[in-house]
Amino acid sequence: MEMYSQAAWLIPLFPLAAFLVLTALGRSFRRAGVLIGTLGSLAAFVLSLFIVIDRLDANTVDYNYAFDWMKIGDYTLRIGFEVTNLTAMMLVVVTLVSFLVNVYSAGYMKNDERITVFYGYVSLFTFSMLGLVLSDNLLSLYIFWELVGVCSFLLVGFWYAKPKARAAAKKAFIVTRIGDAGLLLGILLLFWYMPGHALDFTTIQSVFDGQSGAITTGITTLIALLIFLGAVGKSGQFPLHVWLPDAMEGPTPISALIHAATMVAAGVFLIARTYDIFQDSAAAMETVAYIGGFTAIFAATIALAQNDIKRILAYSTVSQLGYMMMALGLGSLTGGVFHLFTHAFFKALLFLGAGSIIHAVHTQNIHEMGGLGAKMKVTAWTFAIGALALSGIPPLSGFWSKDMILTAAFETNPLLFFVGLAAAFCTALYMSRLFFLVFTGKPGAASSGAQESPVTMTLPLVVLAVPAVAAGFVETPWNGWFGSWLSGEAEAAHGSGVAIVASIAVGLLGIYVGWLVYGKGSVSRTALADRVPWLVKLLERSYYVDELYAVFVVKPLKLLGAILIVIDEYVIGGLVRLTGIATVSAGRLAARLQNGQVQTYSLAAVIGFVIIVIALVGRRFLP
Amino acid sequence: MLPSYLTVAAILFCIGLYGALVKRNAIIVLLSLELMLNAVNLNLVAFSKYGVVPSLTGQIFSLFTITVAAAEAAIGVAILFALFRLRGTVNVDEFDKMRR
Amino acid sequence: MSILNGLPILSFILLSPLVGLLVILLLPKERSSWMKTAAILTTLVPLALSLWLYAGYDKQQGGAGYEEQLSWVEVPLNKEFQNGVAEFVFKFQYSLGIDGISLPLVLLTALVTAMAALAAFHIKKRWKSFFVWFLLLEAGMLGVFLAQDVFLFFVFFEVTLVAMYFLIGIWGYFHRERAANQFLLYNGIGSAIMLLAFVLLVNTAGFRIEQAGEQASFIYSGSYADILRNMTDPAAWVNMSPEQLGGINPFQMTETMQWVLFIMLLVAFGIKLPIFPFHTWMLKVHTEAPPAVVMIHSGVLLKMGAYGLLRFGVLLFPEQAREWAVVLAALGVINILYGALLAFRQQEFKLVLAYSSISHMGIVLLGLAAFNELGMQGALFQLVSHGLISALLFLIVGSIHERTGTTELSELGGLARSMPFISGVLLTAGLASLGLPGLSGFIGEFLAFLGLFESMRWLTAAGVLGIILTAVYVLRAVLKITFGTQPEKYGALKDARLIEAIPMIVLLAFILLLGCYPSLLTDTVQNSVGTLFEPLFATRAGG
Repeated sequence: MEMYSQAAWLIPLFPLAAFLVLTALGRSFRRAGVLIGTLGSLAAFVLSLFIVIDRLDANTVDYNYAFDWMKIGDYTLRIGFEVTNLTAMMLVVVTLVSFLVNVYSAGYMKNDERITVFYGYVSLFTFSMLGLVLSDNLLSLYIFWELVGVCSFLLVGFWYAKPKARAAAKKAFIVTRIGDAGLLLGILLLFWYMPGHALDFTTIQSVFDGQSGAITTGITTLIALLIFLGAVGKSGQFPLHVWLPDAMEGPTPISALIHAATMVAAGVFLIARTYDIFQDSAAAMETVAYIGGFTAIFAATIALAQNDIKRILAYSTVSQLGYMMMALGLGSLTGGVFHLFTHAFFKALLFLGAGSIIHAVHTQNIHEMGGLGAKMKVTAWTFAIGALALSGIPPLSGFWSKDMILTAAFETNPLLFFVGLAAAFCTALYMSRLFFLVFTGKPGAASSGAQESPVTMTLPLVVLAVPAVAAGFVETPWNGWFGSWLSGEAEAAHGSGVAIVASIAVGLLGIYVGWLVYGKGSVSRTALADRVPWLVKLLERSYYVDELYAVFVVKPLKLLGAILIVIDEYVIGGLVRLTGIATVSAGRLAARLQNGQVQTYSLAAVIGFVIIVIALVGRRFLP
Repeated sequence: MLPSYLTVAAILFCIGLYGALVKRNAIIVLLSLELMLNAVNLNLVAFSKYGVVPSLTGQIFSLFTITVAAAEAAIGVAILFALFRLRGTVNVDEFDKMRR
Repeated sequence: MSILNGLPILSFILLSPLVGLLVILLLPKERSSWMKTAAILTTLVPLALSLWLYAGYDKQQGGAGYEEQLSWVEVPLNKEFQNGVAEFVFKFQYSLGIDGISLPLVLLTALVTAMAALAAFHIKKRWKSFFVWFLLLEAGMLGVFLAQDVFLFFVFFEVTLVAMYFLIGIWGYFHRERAANQFLLYNGIGSAIMLLAFVLLVNTAGFRIEQAGEQASFIYSGSYADILRNMTDPAAWVNMSPEQLGGINPFQMTETMQWVLFIMLLVAFGIKLPIFPFHTWMLKVHTEAPPAVVMIHSGVLLKMGAYGLLRFGVLLFPEQAREWAVVLAALGVINILYGALLAFRQQEFKLVLAYSSISHMGIVLLGLAAFNELGMQGALFQLVSHGLISALLFLIVGSIHERTGTTELSELGGLARSMPFISGVLLTAGLASLGLPGLSGFIGEFLAFLGLFESMRWLTAAGVLGIILTAVYVLRAVLKITFGTQPEKYGALKDARLIEAIPMIVLLAFILLLGCYPSLLTDTVQNSVGTLFEPLFATRAGG
C-alpha cells in the first residue's frame, strides 16, 4: 500500500546527487550541467507524484522511519522522515516548481558563465527543501531549515559582483537567522519539557492533544511563540519581512522557486506541522492571526506604490503569506495550507512571467515598460491568469483559497475579516496596476526591442497556468475533499454567502479602479500623490522600516561595538600592558645591582652569608 | 689561649674583608686579600697547637697556604700591571667590564 | 586485534615528531625542500598512528589497556617516619594514557599539525630551525594531551610555550617580537599559577600508600589517577591512616584550599582558553604569527586551555565547579557576546577571526557549565570542531595574504572572481563557523545550548543571541572578501595550488564528516564522559 511512501527518502537524494555531480563538474560542461540538474528534479517530481497518487486513497496511513543520529547518555537525538498527506502535497509542489524552474533557467540563465554553479545551488536547495518537508522531527527540520536558508542566501547573492546583491544576501541570511534563533530556543524548550525528550511530530501531536496537561499553558504558549518567531523570519512576516523584497536581487527563477513558492512557505508549513502546539494555546493562535493579518494589509499597501516589478510581487508574497498565517491563527489549518498550495502555483507563474518580461526588456521598472501584451502573447496571457488568480477572481484557484480564509475570518473575527477584505482589495488594485502598466498602453522606453521569450521559458508558464486555474477545485464551499484528505477527518461544509460576495466584490472593485487609473486613464495617476504626497512617499519607502532598523538596531549595535573596542584596547589591553611594564621595571631594578663591580658582588655575597649565619644560629633561639 | 688567637685572626680577617670590599685602589685590595689569608693561617697554626687534636698538620698546611698566597700575589700583581697598561688606572671602580 | 597490539603506541605518537626533528637537524641547511618533505612526512606519522588508535579504540573499555608508565624522577623525603614505613618519596612518572576526552584532541593535534606543515610553504627563511621548533611544538602538544602525570603535563605545556615563542618571534610579521614577548609573558604568568597549583596538589592530593607486606611506602606523586581519586572520593582520604605517619597529616585539603586551587586553575587555564578579560594577548599572536603557526595556535593551543580546565579544574573540583557553574556560564555568555560584538567592528580579517575564537570558546564554557552529558559532549565537540574550522580559516588567510599582501577588509573584495576555489572554501568555512547544520560547528553549539538549557534558561537564551551576531560578523567579513566588485589589481591572482588545496579539502572533509555524522566523535567520548563525570553529575543530582 505505502510502497512509494517507503521510498520517499529517495526523493531528496536525486537533487543531492545532482548537486554533488554539478559541484564536481565546476564551471565546465554547461549543457550537461543543465541536463543533470533538470533530471534530478524531474526524478524527484515523478516519485513524488507516485506517492501522492498512492495516497489519494483515503485510508492510507502515515509512514515514518527514523534512526538514531546521536546517542548521548540517556538522550537520543533522532533523524528520520515521515510521509503524511500534508508532506506529500508539499513534495509535489516543491518538486513541480523546482522542475519547472530548472527548465525555465535553461533559457533565462543561458548566457551566464556560472550556469553550472547555479544549477548546483538550485539542486542543493531542492534537496534541502525536500528534506525539510520530509523531516519527522523538529531537530531535522531545523537542520534543513537552516540549509534552505543558506541556499537562499547563496542564490540571492548569485551575482556576487553586485554590491547590492551582496548586501541583500547578507540581509536575507541575518534577518532569517533572528527567527532561527527563536526556533532553536523553542526546540530547546520543547526538548526539556517533552516526555522522553522526543522531538518527533507524532509524539508532539499526542502530547499536545489539549487535555493531557503534561505541559502547562504558559510554557506551551512560549514554545508556540518561539516556533512562530522562526516562521516569522522565514516567511517574511512583520517585522522580519524586510529581507524578502531585497532578496529580489537574485536571479528571477530563484525568486519564483525560493521566495514565492517553496522556502518562504516553509514557515506556514512549520506551523501546520506543529499545529497541535498552537491549538493548545489561545494566546499563540491570536498572535499568529494578528501578525498574519497585519502583515497581509501592511505589505499589500506597500506593493501599491512600488515601481519595481519584482518588488511588487515580493510584497505581494509577503502579504499572501500573511493571509496564510492569519488563516492558521484563526484555526483554519486547511485554509492556510490550501492557500499555500494554490499560491505556490500562481505566484511562481507570476514571477516566472516577470522574469520573461525582464529577459525581454532588461529593466525592472514598470514605468519603462508598456504595450508588451502585443509582443509577448504567451507571457501576457499566462501572467493575466496568474494576476486574476492572485486577485481572487472566480473560478481561478486563488479565489477558492482566499475565500476559505475570509470565511473563517468572517465566522470568528470580524476585525480580521475586514482587514482581509482590505488586503484583497489592495491586492487586486496593485495587480491590475502592474498588468495595465506593463502589458497595455503605449510602448515604454524599454519595450521597443522586446520579443517573446524562448520556449524553454514559456513552456513552464503554460504548465503552471493549468494548476493556477484549476487547483482550487480540490476544495470548494460545497466540496471539502482537500481538508478531509489533509486532516484525516471530514470537515463540515463551510462557506458563507456574505464572505463569497464580499470577496468577489472587492476583487472586481480593485481591478476596476486599477483599470480606471492605469488602463483607461480616466483618473489621473498622480491624483493621490498630489493630494497626500507624504502617504505615497511613506508607501514607496515601505513605511521606513529599513530606516527604523538602521536607527534602532544597527546603529546601537555598531556604537556598542565601537565602545567595546575602546574598552578592549585601553581597559583590558591596559591590563596586559601593565603586566608588561611591571615586569620590565622589575627587571630594570634588578639590573641595577649588576654594575660590573666585583666589590659590589662580593659585598652582596657577604651580606647573604651573614643572613644565612644569623638564620642558622638564630633558629636555636626560636621556640 | 685559643680564644685570643682566634680573636686576633678574626680582627685581622675583618680588616682584610673591609679593605677588599671598600678600598678603591686595586693594590690595596690585593694586600687586603693577603691579610685575610694570613688570618686564616693564624687560625690554622692556633688550632694545630691548641685544638682538640693537636698535630703538625695545621702548621704544614699553613706553609702551603703561604706558598699559594705568594703565587697568588705574584699573579695578582701581574694582572694588575696588565690592567694598568690597558686602562691607565688602578681604580677598581673603573674595572666594570663584567657589566657588559 | 592487530599485530601492533602491545607496542607502546602512545610513546610512538609522542616521540615520532622528535625523531623527525633529529633527522631534520642532520640535513644540510640549504636544502629547504628536503626539510619541508621531511617535516611533512614526519607529521604524517603521528597522524597515521592516532587515526589507527582512534579506529581501534574500544568505546566500551575506554582508555584502559593503553597506559604506559616508566619511573622518571624520585626524590626521597627526609622526613621522620616510624617503623613499618619503608620509604617516603616524591615520585614523578613518565606516564601516558588516553581516554575519550584526550583521544579526539590527540587526533585533532596530529591532523592540524600535518595540515599546517603542508601549509608552511610561505616560510621564507631559516627553514631548518622553523621545522625543528615546529616539530618540538607538535611533540609538546601531543604530550599535553597524553600526559597522565601533572608534572609531565606541566613540562609539555611549557615546551609548547617555548616553541611558540620562537615560532612567533622569528617568523612572524612586522611586530612579531612584541607579540612573542606578550605571549610569553602572559602565558608565563598562567604557567606560574598552574605550577603553584600543581605543587600544592601533589603535596596534598598526590599522596598514596603502597602496602607491601608489613612495609608501607608513602608516596607523593603527580599521578593524575591518584589525585583524581583522592579529590573526588572522600573514602580514599579516610582509608589512609594518619597514625602511621608519625603525626604528619599529608592530606590536608580544607575547603578554602580547594577553592583557592580551583580559582588558581581557572585563571591559569582561563588565560590560555582565553576567558574574558584575559584574552588580549592572543590578538597580537593571531595577527603577527605566520599562518601555519596561527593554524596550530588557534586550532590546538587554545584547546589545551579548555582541556586543562576540564581535566584539572572541573574534574578535580566538582563541588567548586558545580557551585560556580553560573559563573562559568556567565563568563561563557560574556565571551560569546563580547567576542562577537568586537569581531563585528574589526577592520582586519585576522582580528575578526581572533575575536571569533573568543566567541566560540565561550560555547565551550557554556557546555562545561551545563553539568550534564549533553553539555560536556557539546563542549568537547566544539573544541574539535573549532580546531578544524579555525585551522581552515587561517590556512585560507595565509593563502589570501600571500597573494594580495594584505588582510585588511577595506582593501579586499570580489576575490570570488579570480579565486573561486579559495573563496568557496572560505565561504564554507565561514558558514561552518556560524554554525550551519551539516557542518561540524552546529553540533557543538547545539549540544552545549541543549545541555545548558536544563539548568540555566536565561543564560542559554543570551548565548543563543550569539548565533545571530556570529552570522552578522562572519558574513560581513567573508562577503566583503569574496563578494562585491573586484579591484583591478587582483584580476590576475591565481587560484589555489595543489599543495594548498589538499589541506583545505582534508579539513573541509573532516568538518563535513563530523557535521553529518557526529556519532563518530560523540560515541568515542561517551564512555569517558559517563564514567569520569559520574561524581560530577552526582553532585548535580544531590545539590
